[in-house]
Amino acid sequence: MKQTLDRSRRRHSGLVISKRRFVASVTVPLLLYEALGIFVLAWAFVLMFFDYSPGRLGGPILGLGGSNPFVGLGNFIEMFSGDSVQAGLFRASLRNTLIFAVAVLPLNLAITLPLAWLLESIGNRFKALYRTIYFLPVLTSSVGVALIWMSMYDPQAGWINAIIRAFGGTPVAWLSDPRAGFAGVSVAMWAVIIAYLWQDYGYNMVIFIAALQGVPQELREAALIDGANSWQAFTRITLPLIRPTMLFVCVMTMLSSFQVFDIIQVMTNGGPNNQTQVLMLDIYKSAFRYQNMGWAAAESFVLFLIVMGVTLFQMRVLRTDWEY
Amino acid sequence: MAVNTLSASVVQPRKSFGWGRFLGRFLIYFVLTLGLSFTLLPFVMMILSSFKTNVEALRVPPTFWPENFTLENYLKIFNDPQLPLLRFYGNSAFVAIFNVCSTLFTSSLIGYMFAKFEFPGKKILFGWFLTLMMIPTQITMIPSYLILAKLGLINSLWGLVIFSAVDAFGIFMMRQFCETLPTELLDAARIDGASEWQIYWRIVLPQLGAPLATLGILGFMGNWNAYLWPMIVLQKIEVRTLPVILTWFNSTHTGQPAVVMAATVLIVVPILIVFMFFQRWIVQGFTMTGFK
Repeated sequence: MKQTLDRSRRRHSGLVISKRRFVASVTVPLLLYEALGIFVLAWAFVLMFFDYSPGRLGGPILGLGGSNPFVGLGNFIEMFSGDSVQAGLFRASLRNTLIFAVAVLPLNLAITLPLAWLLESIGNRFKALYRTIYFLPVLTSSVGVALIWMSMYDPQAGWINAIIRAFGGTPVAWLSDPRAGFAGVSVAMWAVIIAYLWQDYGYNMVIFIAALQGVPQELREAALIDGANSWQAFTRITLPLIRPTMLFVCVMTMLSSFQVFDIIQVMTNGGPNNQTQVLMLDIYKSAFRYQNMGWAAAESFVLFLIVMGVTLFQMRVLRTDWEY
Repeated sequence: MAVNTLSASVVQPRKSFGWGRFLGRFLIYFVLTLGLSFTLLPFVMMILSSFKTNVEALRVPPTFWPENFTLENYLKIFNDPQLPLLRFYGNSAFVAIFNVCSTLFTSSLIGYMFAKFEFPGKKILFGWFLTLMMIPTQITMIPSYLILAKLGLINSLWGLVIFSAVDAFGIFMMRQFCETLPTELLDAARIDGASEWQIYWRIVLPQLGAPLATLGILGFMGNWNAYLWPMIVLQKIEVRTLPVILTWFNSTHTGQPAVVMAATVLIVVPILIVFMFFQRWIVQGFTMTGFK
């Protein structure tokens, strides 16, 4: 009796030891990786208080100090109140990023929500086909999307100007005319917004379709029987019920449009006259073209704060306290 | 009687709206097809342009259907010694496959550990870990580049894979799935003498097939289409991945739109067809994780 008890206890402690060994063998590399992550983050944080360029020979620790001097909050003060070229460029890209994000979100919702609703209301035969095609641009590499739209926007041989000419209008140099504008925003900016929307709407559509499928049909039918028309049923029943999805879609769309880079870098590279220079592009150019990495780190921090702030704000506004 | 009047009042208006319903249906399909054409036409233009001669592709107004169907653009690309396409496909495939394999391994292993094991500091470790991983790339981009430069990994495909071996979304997702695995099953295997690694490999991993497939295809797509980070790390032409080489090709072939479109077709379309087959998993992954 005692013997078996001992044996089972020994076996039990053997299991515990092998479990511990397993946990240790996973957590120790993970901790090292996490330490590397913290190191990278700390480095990014420290960099923004320095005037740092990797080409200069700096101090002993990470090349900071010496010819890469500590400037304190200098980068931030310069950004928001300086008159240097790079400060002006930062403020222009901050403005352009806001214009881009503020234009993209409502346009995206205005396209994706009705289309998803219409698509959800038709029979199953065509639904899959429509959805597959609407989703194609999401799967396409953004560089490919940019090149396709560049050929569409071509001032001479592009299709968009061909259509304008066919209706008797004057063709526009979409990606290179700094003077042309619409609603106070340059045409180059509108051009990249349209290309970006084209690539992106399939994503929000599938999210909305999934959400609409989750709305219980009985609720909608009850409203219809009570005399609501389908528009009322949509705005009073369906829309409130997919509010958590709206929150998710708004946050994700805002996040990705604040960080837009690929399409704009390929299509305009910030031109004409920096009218499409957005923050990510400005950060990229400061850091890797002009090797001005302290400045770029400070800019990234500002972008990070904006993105965080917008996310928290949207979560507050669109939060729901109930479930169904 | 009451039931009868109720059902009559519900059914009747529908009957009288027969034409209205038909018109409604028609409008729905009209709007959907309009959107469909807007989505599809740029692809059609790209493919048609790639079969035109460069002279025709520059003509004003543009032709829709190529006058002389020609393969010269494709032949030009295949015979271009500066553009060994297979090599760039190889680079992209290496980066994407290596990253997918490493993230699937780490995500399932770490997710499993966070779901099924208790150890001191677990909550703090998990919380810290997720926070760290949520930091956007633009913050970590510069120090990561400096570290790669110190390690001499700029212009090396290895530089592109070492920082992306662990993926927060993957770990989070795998933890959710591992929590649904029955602990009794794992304990039974332990009693039978299986080691912890055997349990992970033989029992946990096979159960995670579907979520791993979803995560894998999403990761593959993200890596295959990635542009900013590969452009920063891969500065020499011969080590570049496809999106980076495509922009380079575009900048060296100005004034030859048909050739550029042919290159775009060659780089964009094959993988698009593959992704179409996996669309169900991709959509599932997007709606499940919200990860893009």
